[in-house]
Amino acid sequence: MSSKLIDFVHVSKAYRMQTVLDDLNLYIRENEFLTLLGPSGCGKTTTLRILGGFETPDTGKVIFDGKDITNLPPNKRQLNTVFQKYALFTHMTIAENIAFGLKIKNKSRQYIHDKIKYALKLVNLDGYENRMPDSLSGGQQQRIAIARAIVNEPKVLLLDEPLGALDLKLRQDMQYELIRLKNELGITFIYVTHDQEEALTMSDTIVVMNQGYIQQIGTPEKIYNEPENAFVADFIGESNIISATMVKDRLVKILGVPFPCVDEGFGQNTPVDVVIRPEDIDLLKPGEGSIDGVVTHLIFKGVHYEMEVMANNYEWLVHSTDMFPVGTEVSIHVDPYDIQIMKKPESEDEEAVNIEE
Amino acid sequence: MIKKSIQKVYLALIFILLYAPIVTLMVLSFNESRTRAKWGGFTLKWYQELFKNEQIMSAFYTTLVIAFLAAAAATVIGTAASIAIQGMKQRWRTMYMGLTNIPMMNAEIVMGVSLMLLFIALRMTLGFGTILIAHITFNIPYVILSVSPKLRQTSRHTYEAALDLGASPLKAFFKVVFPDIVPGVLSGFMLAFTMSLDDFVITHFTKGPGIDTLSTKIYTEVRKGIKPEIYALSTILFVSVLVLLILVNYSPDGKEEEGAKKKVRKPSRAKVIFLRRIVPAAICILFVFGGIYYAGENQMMNSEKVVVYNWGEYIDPEVLTMFEEETGIDVVYEEFETNEILYPKISSGAIAYDAVCPSDYMIQRMMENDLLAEIDFDNIPNIKYIGSQYMEQSRQFDPENKYSVPYCWGTVGILYNKTMVDEPVDSWGILWDEKYRDNILMQDSVRDAFGVALRYLGYSLNSTDLDELTEARDLLIEQKPLVQAYVIDQVRDKMIGNEAAIGVIYSGEAIYTQKENPDLEYVVPKEGSNIWIDSWVIPKNAENKENAEKFINFLCRPDIALMNFEYITYSTPNTEAREMIEDEAIRNSTIAFPDLEELPELETFQYLGQKADETYGELWNQVKSS
Repeated sequence: MSSKLIDFVHVSKAYRMQTVLDDLNLYIRENEFLTLLGPSGCGKTTTLRILGGFETPDTGKVIFDGKDITNLPPNKRQLNTVFQKYALFTHMTIAENIAFGLKIKNKSRQYIHDKIKYALKLVNLDGYENRMPDSLSGGQQQRIAIARAIVNEPKVLLLDEPLGALDLKLRQDMQYELIRLKNELGITFIYVTHDQEEALTMSDTIVVMNQGYIQQIGTPEKIYNEPENAFVADFIGESNIISATMVKDRLVKILGVPFPCVDEGFGQNTPVDVVIRPEDIDLLKPGEGSIDGVVTHLIFKGVHYEMEVMANNYEWLVHSTDMFPVGTEVSIHVDPYDIQIMKKPESEDEEAVNIEE
Repeated sequence: MIKKSIQKVYLALIFILLYAPIVTLMVLSFNESRTRAKWGGFTLKWYQELFKNEQIMSAFYTTLVIAFLAAAAATVIGTAASIAIQGMKQRWRTMYMGLTNIPMMNAEIVMGVSLMLLFIALRMTLGFGTILIAHITFNIPYVILSVSPKLRQTSRHTYEAALDLGASPLKAFFKVVFPDIVPGVLSGFMLAFTMSLDDFVITHFTKGPGIDTLSTKIYTEVRKGIKPEIYALSTILFVSVLVLLILVNYSPDGKEEEGAKKKVRKPSRAKVIFLRRIVPAAICILFVFGGIYYAGENQMMNSEKVVVYNWGEYIDPEVLTMFEEETGIDVVYEEFETNEILYPKISSGAIAYDAVCPSDYMIQRMMENDLLAEIDFDNIPNIKYIGSQYMEQSRQFDPENKYSVPYCWGTVGILYNKTMVDEPVDSWGILWDEKYRDNILMQDSVRDAFGVALRYLGYSLNSTDLDELTEARDLLIEQKPLVQAYVIDQVRDKMIGNEAAIGVIYSGEAIYTQKENPDLEYVVPKEGSNIWIDSWVIPKNAENKENAEKFINFLCRPDIALMNFEYITYSTPNTEAREMIEDEAIRNSTIAFPDLEELPELETFQYLGQKADETYGELWNQVKSS
């Protein structure tokens, strides 16, 4: 892997006896849009702060561009951060905010001036030079925070839940803007969020984390379609996660009913978890599918209907563009390639097992 | 309706209670007439005199310099401390905040005394430096208190953002964090400045001779009797503190308003530069140069000086001026109130006094503790004017006449009103006479009261024999129903005002009362009494012993002794000076100048040791509480 830009090697961190990161190993390639995704307290922000230099790992090291930067102070690192709450300098104008890093590097006035212009244009806020941060909206402030970071031409831009404080519409706009920026700048983005939709929309690679462990690393498609364990499946989108038995290769028994599937190598009669996405379930007439059941709930969601179907004592979540009123008798059908088989965790702890091992 | 008006009346009452005294003072400061009783028309002359008074102006400048330097230093230290505290974990933060608040809650006097003890333990000379350190110390909590909330409001992310953008921690602090907490720092500075400006107690304990801040100066002046200049000074002090407090309380609001305006328009660059750079720089330069100039003046004063420590109101100020003019030696003059205050100051060695004027028993105690230097009497030729009988009396505490030069003296006796007492008075016994029930005034001090009883019983007034003391106690308890009051200074006023028939009093006071009320007569009872002598001594650690001897010699000069006698009215041991008194009645007064040979046995008080002191105190309490 010649293009490894950042490498976390056996990094652990604990606060007051509580482990936040446990032997984290992770590399990030150049020009990648990598997202650290997980619920709060999963260690994603700590990972980012260790990379930014605001925290020092208890053990392990961080390699940046071939050099060990574990103990380098933040101001000596070739990366910049966009903070969750923007962290603009409220007593400075927008121009002064953007120029902050450049002035410290003793750039010429002309250079600074040009950079400010360029950066404001890049974030679609030309002409805001002399405004004060307080007078801008949240979205504008966030774009200024980004502009302030990128004028320093960092190799990596760290973004710590930058859209967390924005409303839905603005958040979606900013997502496209960030993708555009990334493409224009051609640098590595490391993005931290707990919003799976954000992660799926923007990332090249998603790292799903929980309780200080990496759960899965992969492209958005892979993470969504092939979650490697129940936590990932549950965290990424809505799912039916059901205990099942792998009878043999390509055959799984779900709720006592055999389903053909495409997975192999789990052995015979092995207990497993299966994940079936709600939109992958087809509702047919009774008797035509694998399991018969009755619709118990129906909600209109806009693009689809959300239904719950009671079948074999399990409440199946189903998304469909066809509507079946409550009380309708239906039959459930799942295509073999839509059934995702996962190894059952052997203990409570293993739910958070590091899959790189 | 009624409720409303009650509210208003209540509010008005509170304001009157709060501000009536200050308003009175302010009004009096514009009163043409010198007395408090009547209004003599509006005038500013007290203010003019105030500004002409060099001592007060120097105290004023000292106050400003100390307040500014202390506030500045406390602001730097306090702000740094706040940042450190802010960076701590919650548990430690709470603990440290609590710890820093303690000095603020602590009684000022405890602060003052403990600081003084610390300075003394560290062998620091009390003076400008120690006041400054003390003020910085008590100012720091106030700064922390006003900076911390601001610091808590600032997001730690802005600091991290600055680091992230390449700023060093120091630069990040000054460029990003500091501008956010400036209002807190400023109000901390103002608060510290104000606190320092009007502090009295702590300054009082940590100051050395020859240096005064306004508050200690006012205190000294007030002790001598309040002059209208002091009203003017107090008014100025009050108004300036008020203005500062208003500034402190309103500046944060102002800042917010300014912040609101900023949204629309940024304040002009020139204004910012002016406010942020020029004004503070100007103030700093003013104080630094002022301080250098001031220190320079002090330095010049230090060349030839004598540090004198005397009772309050115990010398004619003109004498000091004359001495300075004649010898070119500067007198650094400080006053004390009781021997007990004087003793620790000398024994600690914190201040190198050159000439001190304690009383007999205290001199003995100082000698016993090896605190006094032998006086070189070759340098004091004027000792020949001091009557030999007084030198003889001094042998009670200074057996070889080696350490002390008598300055003032007197006896304790009975003052009675001839119109109320028909019989001749010659015995302490009259104080136990049922006829004068509720017409007797006793001294409210343990040694004086027991002295009377012990002498009446025929014992020494320095007795440490428990049986004798118990007997004296019982006698005093027996006397208690007859006594109108146990007082100190009021004996004089009550006797003048014919409020009592008989009182125990000092001879010096007796001379004064006779001038005011000719019906009063003073007598030293036949059983014997107390004679007290205040003498000049030179402490062992004196730095200007020769100057001190010159000073003492000067005081022994007959014309100077006379001036002091006329000013103090206590008997002078200077026989030559007595001859020069013009008023024949006083010159021949048997109260002021009794023939010591003819008087009954007189004893000076002696230092009896701590254990005896406690016994006396305990027995006296039994008398008072019986």
